[in-house]
Amino acid sequence: MTKQHIHSIILSAAIAGLCLSTPAFAQVDAEEIFKENDCHKCHHPTKAKKGPSLAKIAAKYKEKKLDEKEAIKHMTAGKKVELDDGTKEDHKIIDTKDVAVQTAVAKWMLNR
Amino acid sequence: MKKSALFLGVSVIVAGCASMTSGPQAIDWNKIPATKVTLFYPGQSSYEWLRSEAHAGAAKETARGDACVSCHDDPKEEQRQGSKILRGNHPLEPTAIAGKKNGYVDLAVQAAYDDKNAYLRFQWKTQNPYPGTEHQYLRFDGKEWKVYGFPKLDKVVQEGRQPGIYEDRMSIMIDDGKVPGFAQQGCWLTCHDGQRDMPKQFTKEDVAANALLTALKKSDVRKYLPETRGNPSDWKTGKSVEEIARIKEAGRFVDLIQWRAHRSHAVGMADDGFVLEFRNGDAGKDMFSGNADSKTHQPKFMWDEKKVGYKSITADQLRKGDHFLIREQNAVPFDPNAGWKVGDMVPDYLISREDAKGSAAENNAVASWKDGMWTVVIVRPLGLANSDDKTLKAGGVYNVGFAVHDDNITTRGHQVSYVKTLGIGAKADITAVKLN
Repeated sequence: MTKQHIHSIILSAAIAGLCLSTPAFAQVDAEEIFKENDCHKCHHPTKAKKGPSLAKIAAKYKEKKLDEKEAIKHMTAGKKVELDDGTKEDHKIIDTKDVAVQTAVAKWMLNR
Repeated sequence: MKKSALFLGVSVIVAGCASMTSGPQAIDWNKIPATKVTLFYPGQSSYEWLRSEAHAGAAKETARGDACVSCHDDPKEEQRQGSKILRGNHPLEPTAIAGKKNGYVDLAVQAAYDDKNAYLRFQWKTQNPYPGTEHQYLRFDGKEWKVYGFPKLDKVVQEGRQPGIYEDRMSIMIDDGKVPGFAQQGCWLTCHDGQRDMPKQFTKEDVAANALLTALKKSDVRKYLPETRGNPSDWKTGKSVEEIARIKEAGRFVDLIQWRAHRSHAVGMADDGFVLEFRNGDAGKDMFSGNADSKTHQPKFMWDEKKVGYKSITADQLRKGDHFLIREQNAVPFDPNAGWKVGDMVPDYLISREDAKGSAAENNAVASWKDGMWTVVIVRPLGLANSDDKTLKAGGVYNVGFAVHDDNITTRGHQVSYVKTLGIGAKADITAVKLN
């Protein structure tokens, strides 16, 4: 292996390290995470589906002065939620434990 | 290869369906609007799975008859779902299918009609850089003729003991509004556990012990509509033949048209079937039939060497020509004493436009593959009055589902659409334009 190769590898590793150390939320496509987790099947941006619309959720949080931490609790606790027909279901839990990703998704939702 | 085994001229196709001045070749498709319909890979998302807790948060909604798109309404839904299922380790696709990459397919759909026919034009890109016109063969192993080439989901292909060889297909399911639930859930009404390549696949013993399938003289389990079973989620609970006949008489079945890149394309046709208690063929005779003698397992026909330059091919010639065995064009009765060598292959299916008869022979098609894309125009007569057809007529609106089988695969290995509407001169997701 030549010196140039070694320098190249060190430089690549340094760049990779830099990328990995960037805060996760900076790279998160929150909308894509939301949809990858199938959240959109129940929560439409404006229409009521099985769950309330994102607009309604955002308005409610604003009114009650709640922030993304409360939204994260909701998407990670798997608590029972009451549906329009009066039945109750376990809320789906988002498939990530990365708080930065959860925060990005929560912020995206509450900014609808 | 000295000559092509296919003498498929436009004239052959046209002779069977329409004249050059009024048939699909005369249509200026640039003037017909195209609708993009995205099809996606569904894996094993059966009627039963959709009603189970595994269909998270939607079991109850599906069971009560909600439309798939009442939840799956994102513009990129099909891309996302199909890619997820094929990504690997997904519960809906337990088999890693070698080389299978396309979780979704963009299908361009155009429709037109005149006084006689509806013309449905489909275009989609194939995953492979060749058209999927090859189908299974009979191969001589020195002693016997055995089937060579299987669909990619088959164990023999998974284990590398056989190559993946299977024709491409373009399928349409049509409901005229009589099948309960089809407008909401489309093709998923017909796809069930127990079928070929689905969870809890049937056993021969199960089928042999089943009253309905025995009465139908069937040896496996295929698509069926829920109404044909006492318990829609259990294929074994078939209703009586008499009850099923009454359902058919009331029109509560779906039409199933399949264009097959080997077995119907070679003679300018698409097959014609219907789904009720089974995936049935229409009355009459299809344009293809098995080429293996049921007693000797030898081929019944081989290529006419005088016409095409060979009587068989070998595996190294696959994908290098059109290998259709057409009774009235390039086939002669099989000669067992023709000096067969190990590895000689003849098609496992014989194709014949002349032999196709009755309701099974109503659909024509013109197709070509160029630059990685199939263009298929299916010609469906209007006003068919057969008891196994859905009658298309001007002003009618129909619920339709589309499917593409791509890359040497069958059964669940397709990309499918959510249900759409097709209007023959009437407003719908896809509106057929009246030709002058």
